Amino acid sequence: MLLNGVRKAAIATSRGGGGNEMERTMAISLRESVQQVSDPRNLDASVEEVFQMMLGVNCRRDPGTQAKESESVTAVVGFGGLLSGACVFNSGREAAIKIATHLTGMEFDEVDDTVKDGIGEICNMLAGAWKGKVPNLAANCGLSVPAVITGSDYKLHVQAPEFQLHHAYRFEDTSFEVTIVCDGIQ
Amino acid sequence: MSEIRALIVDDSSVMRKIVERSLRQAGLSALVVYEAGSGTDGLDVLKSKQVDLILSDINMPSMDGLEFLRQIRAQNLAPGVPVVMITTESSEEHVKQAILAGAQGYIRKPFTAEQVKERVLSLVNAA
Repeated sequence: MLLNGVRKAAIATSRGGGGNEMERTMAISLRESVQQVSDPRNLDASVEEVFQMMLGVNCRRDPGTQAKESESVTAVVGFGGLLSGACVFNSGREAAIKIATHLTGMEFDEVDDTVKDGIGEICNMLAGAWKGKVPNLAANCGLSVPAVITGSDYKLHVQAPEFQLHHAYRFEDTSFEVTIVCDGIQ
Repeated sequence: MSEIRALIVDDSSVMRKIVERSLRQAGLSALVVYEAGSGTDGLDVLKSKQVDLILSDINMPSMDGLEFLRQIRAQNLAPGVPVVMITTESSEEHVKQAILAGAQGYIRKPFTAEQVKERVLSLVNAA
């Protein structure tokens, strides 16, 4: 439901901003560069870039799975245009607060609106950096504004995606996950 | 450098604070900041305040940054004031659209304070 909403917003963005020039370039197909689009190194480079530039911290791939926390924060930014899908950021409470602290220089005791806003922006920058790695994607794929969900005991389910990248990362003893779900490619 | 009045337009309050911090780190210590959460709010600020610099996101709900920029020009608000777009959109096509709409500068998110300094200071000095 949520993914459908962000996807529609991203499609509207990719159409609204582009005008005729954008429509002409829609004739380009990503099918030929699907291997480049789904290259997992692009996601790692995007995460490292966003965390280094905006938070000033080094981030590395975490081969383990993220420990389940009672409260988690999920941000979703939809892709629309040549590629439809979403970039999904997920972390526990501790990592979300730590990221927001680095981002703003403020201290937080709880996942308040500012923390959620910060996590939404991180997801937005991850989505933008990731699509920026492939020129055709950068020009012909729009982003929705971020949606942020907090709570516990929920799962993200996408039926039969075209491809999916799901990586865990670690910085300063906390971890988070980033997922790129592609459910359609032109 | 004399006092600079900057309008920062972004639907994220966190991003507005980050941009403000980056401007101060860039050397604009005498800074007065007006904030707006959308293009519509940004136009309202420009109708009542004089500014020396405008920094705007592109991807925002209700009125996006490009439409905000077009409306500034159409309504002849802030004539001669430099506008810098700060956005996750990085393709040449997006940069071209921003320039056609009247932007003088373009900063891609994520960014460093050094990049803000590089792109903004020359515009402020020239204005």
